[in-house]
Amino acid sequence: MSAHRDTVRILLRIAFRNLVASRVRTAIIGAIILVGSLIVVVGSSVLDSIDRGMRTSIQGSLGGHLQIYDGRSEDQLALYGDMTGESRLEPIEDFAALKAVVAKVPNVKQVVPMGIDQAMVSSGNAFDIALERLRGDVRRLEAGEDAPELRASYEAHKAHVRRMAGLLKEELAQARTIIDLQGKDAEERRQDWAHLVRAADPAFWAGFDRDRYGSLEFLENKIAKLAMEGGFTFLRYVGTDPKAFFQAFPLAEVSKGEMIPEGRRGILVGEQYADEWLKLKNARRLDQLEDAKDRRGKKIAKDEEMQRWVRENRSGLREILLQLDPVRAEEVASDLRAGLGAPADEDLEKLLARLFDTTDENLHRHRALFYSAVAPRLRLYQVNVGDVITIKAPSKSGYFSSVNVRVYGFLRFKGIEKSGIAGMMSVMDMQSFRDLYGYLTPERAEEIRRMQADLGAKEISREDAEAALFGGGGEVVAESKARPIDESRLVARGQAGPGEDLQARVYSKEETERGVALNAALILDDPRRSDETAAAIRAALDGAGMGYREVKGPNGETVRSGARVIGWQEASGIVGQFVTLLRVVLFTAVVIFFAIALVIINNAMVMATLQRVKEIGTMRAIGTQRRFVVVMLLVEIAAVGVLFGLGGALLGGGVVALIRAVGGIPATTDMLYFIFSGPALFPKLYATSVAGSLLVVLLVSILSALYPALLAMRVTPVEAMASEE
Amino acid sequence: MAIVSVKNVSKDYMLGKTVVPALRDVSLDVEPGEFLSIAGPSGSGKTTLLNLVGCVDTPTAGTVVVNGRDTSALSERALTDLRLRTLGFIFQSFNLVSVLSVFQNVEYPLLLQGGTTRRERADRVVALLDAVGIGSYGRHRPSELSGGQRQRVAIARALVTRPRIVLADEPTANLDSKTGETIIDLMKEMNAKDGTTFIFSTHDPKVIAHANAVVRIADGRIAARESPRAAAGGAP
Repeated sequence: MSAHRDTVRILLRIAFRNLVASRVRTAIIGAIILVGSLIVVVGSSVLDSIDRGMRTSIQGSLGGHLQIYDGRSEDQLALYGDMTGESRLEPIEDFAALKAVVAKVPNVKQVVPMGIDQAMVSSGNAFDIALERLRGDVRRLEAGEDAPELRASYEAHKAHVRRMAGLLKEELAQARTIIDLQGKDAEERRQDWAHLVRAADPAFWAGFDRDRYGSLEFLENKIAKLAMEGGFTFLRYVGTDPKAFFQAFPLAEVSKGEMIPEGRRGILVGEQYADEWLKLKNARRLDQLEDAKDRRGKKIAKDEEMQRWVRENRSGLREILLQLDPVRAEEVASDLRAGLGAPADEDLEKLLARLFDTTDENLHRHRALFYSAVAPRLRLYQVNVGDVITIKAPSKSGYFSSVNVRVYGFLRFKGIEKSGIAGMMSVMDMQSFRDLYGYLTPERAEEIRRMQADLGAKEISREDAEAALFGGGGEVVAESKARPIDESRLVARGQAGPGEDLQARVYSKEETERGVALNAALILDDPRRSDETAAAIRAALDGAGMGYREVKGPNGETVRSGARVIGWQEASGIVGQFVTLLRVVLFTAVVIFFAIALVIINNAMVMATLQRVKEIGTMRAIGTQRRFVVVMLLVEIAAVGVLFGLGGALLGGGVVALIRAVGGIPATTDMLYFIFSGPALFPKLYATSVAGSLLVVLLVSILSALYPALLAMRVTPVEAMASEE
Repeated sequence: MAIVSVKNVSKDYMLGKTVVPALRDVSLDVEPGEFLSIAGPSGSGKTTLLNLVGCVDTPTAGTVVVNGRDTSALSERALTDLRLRTLGFIFQSFNLVSVLSVFQNVEYPLLLQGGTTRRERADRVVALLDAVGIGSYGRHRPSELSGGQRQRVAIARALVTRPRIVLADEPTANLDSKTGETIIDLMKEMNAKDGTTFIFSTHDPKVIAHANAVVRIADGRIAARESPRAAAGGAP
C-alpha cells in the first residue's frame, strides 16, 4: 500500500516538474483552459441571471407556474402574443368546472381565470373636451345660476372653442388647396367648409347667447366630427378576476387610482401603455428624451432619433394650444416667460416653441418647467382615473362589440415598469371581457331576448347563428347581438349611458367564475414540483373526463379536445423561448470552443508524449507499471485543468463583479427590460456555474489526454534501449 | 544453478512484410556473480539477447528463465515486477529522468518497490552515490552532469534495489574510452563487492578485456564463449 503512495507521490512530482519544465506548452494549454472556463462562468452566470429575471417577469406578471387552455385551440397559448398577434384559442367554456377539478390537486394554490385579447380604445379629441366644459357652464347658466366666476369661465371656454374652430378652419383651408373639390363626397366637403366658416364667423359668437343650446348642438354635431384627430389605439388587456389576479401576481400593483372593487366592472390601464399611447405626445417625447439621455447616455447633439423628437415637439404645439382656453393660456404664458427669461411681448406659441427647443444643456430644466408650468393646466392623459371609456373589439364571430368600463386606476408591474411586454398590459374584469369576446352572459341573453321580442326576431342559438346568417332565408339577426356603436359616445365621460347601470352592478365570485375564459393561470405552493403537479392535474382532468385527447377523425385528421396543461415557459411563447435560445447559442459556442481546445490540447499532449517516449520507456524498463504512466499523464493534464480552470472561474467572478460594479448590463430595449426584469441585469455568480465550469474544463482536459495517455501506455521498455544511432 | 538460462531461443522481427531473424537458436547459461560481456558487431543480435534477458521482450521460440522464472509464462505486470525487483538496467545513453535530481533518480526504483522508510532510502542512496564517486552531486539535475557522471548515476540507480542481475547495453558507447574504462572498472568493483551478476553488451575490445567471460555473437548465433584474454587477443 505504501508502495502505491510513494509511487503516486513520485509520479506527481514528475508530472508537476514536467509541467514546469515545458512552460510554454503549459502556458498555452493553461490559457485555453482559462479562457474556456472564463466563458463558461461568465456566460452561465449571465444566463442564469437572465433566466431568473425572466422567471420573475413572466411568473410574476401573467404566467404563474402552469397554464391551462383548451386543447381544441388552433394555436399554442402565447401569453405575450406571437408573430401574428394574439394566439387563437378556443374558450374554456366553463371555468368554474375546470377550477373545481384543478383546485383539488395538491400543491395547487390558486387558479386564476384569464382572457387575453386586444381591443380598440378611442383616444378622444381635444374639441370634445372643450365643448364639454362649455356645455357644463351653459347648463349652469340656463339653470339660473349667475356668478362672476361662472361668467368668466363661460366666456373663457367660449373663447377657447372659438379659437379651436378658427384653427380648424385654417387647417381645412390648407387642406382645400390639395383636395379635389369635384370628386366623390364633394358636396359633403363643401358643407363642412360652410359649417366651419359659420363657426369662425364673429357673428355666430355674437349671437351665441341668444340660443346657447342650439349653438352648442351645431358645434357638437357639425364641427366636432371635423376635429376627430384622435383615432383609435390598440389596448392589450387580460380579462380576469382582478382580486385573484393581484393575489397571484405579486409584481402587479396599482400605480395610480385604486383597485377595481370586488365584483365590479372596471379596468386598470397599463401604465406603460398609457404613457406610450394616451399621454400628450409632447410630454411623452420629453420623457423619452430624458430617458435616452440619462439612462442610455445618448446626446441630442449626436443622436438622430433624439433630434427628430425635438423637431416633432417644436411642431407639435397645436395639441397643447387647442387644450388651453384663453385664461389658462395666459397663465401658462406668464409662467413660461418667467421661467425661460423671455421678452414680455412673446406670445404663447413662441414661448412653447422655445420651451420645446431642447438641447443637451437645457433638457432637464425645460422638462421640469413643462411639468410645473404647463402640464398641470393640461389634460396630460387622454384617459384619467374615474373616466368611463368605451372599448370595442371584434368578437369571436366577427362583429364588433363594445363595452363601457370605468378606469379605476393605472397598473404597473414592479421591477419591469419600463418593459413594453408586461407594461402594455391592462387588467379588466371578467364580465367585460366576456362581453367583448362575444360570450353571452345570462343577463346579456335576457337583454337580447327582450330586444328580439321587440323586433319580432326568432330565437337563434349560438351554434346555429352562422347557418341562420348565411344559410339564406331567415332575417338578419346578428345585429341584435351587437350593441350599435354610437360614435359620439366613444368618449363617454361621466355621461349617463346605457352602460352606467352595469358599472354599478356587483358580480358575485360565482358569476365571475362561471363562464368562459381563454386560459387559466395556476399558482403552486411549491413551484419546484411543477412537473409533478402538472402530471397530477392531467390525471385529475382525465378522471373528470376533461383531459386532453387526440383522436383520429373520420377523414384522418386529428381531433383534439379537453384541457391542455403546460408550463409557464411554454406558455410565454417566443418570449419564453428566448432563454432557451440563448442557452443553445452559449452551449454551441462553448462546445465549439472546447472542441477546438480538445484538438489543441490533445495535439500538444501527443507531442509531449512523443518527446518523452525514451523517458517513459526507461521508467517502464526499471519497473514502473503501465497504469502509473497513464496516471502520471492524466494527473499532469488534470492539474493544469484544475489550476487554470479555477483561475478562469476566479477571473470570471471578477468579470461578473466588474459588471455589477459598473451598473450591470443595461437593458437598452423593452424586450431586454422584460428579460432582465429591471433596467439592468446584475449577473450573479452561482456556485453551480463555477462547479459546472470546473467540471467541463476537467472533463475536456482529461478527454484530450486520453489519446496521449494511450500512446504512453503503448510505449514499451524496449524504446529505452534504442540507442541514438 | 544458472541465474539466467536461455534455451534454443529464436527471435524474429517484422520489417515491413519481411521477417528478419535477430536470434537463431541461441542457448546460454549465466552463473551468479559472473561479469559477462556479450560482444559482437552492431546488428548481430546482442541487444536483442539483452532485451530478452532483461524481460523487456519475449522470444519467438525457446525459453528464457530469469532467476528461476520462465519469462514467456509471465504477464506484463509480473514482468514489470520482475524487472523492478530482480534486475537493474544501465543504458547506452544513461536515460535518467531529466526533471528529477540525481538523488531522486537513484531513489526512484526504491519508491516503486516500496517497503522502505525515507531514512533507509536516503542512507542507501547516499552510500551508493558515494560508492560511485558522485556523493556531492545529489541535488544536481542530470543535465548539469557530464556523460561519465550520468552513467555513474545510472549505475547507482541500477544497483539501489540490490538486484541479482544488472544488464548494461553498451554502457560505454557514449563515453570517451578513458571514462568508459573507469565505468567498467566501477561496475566490476560492484560485481566483486556484492557478487551481483553483470551482463553487458559491447563491441569495444578494451572493454571486453575487463570481462571475465565473453560471449561472442554474430548473425544471431553464438559464435563462441571464451575467456576474456582470448577474446581480447582474438579481436581484430
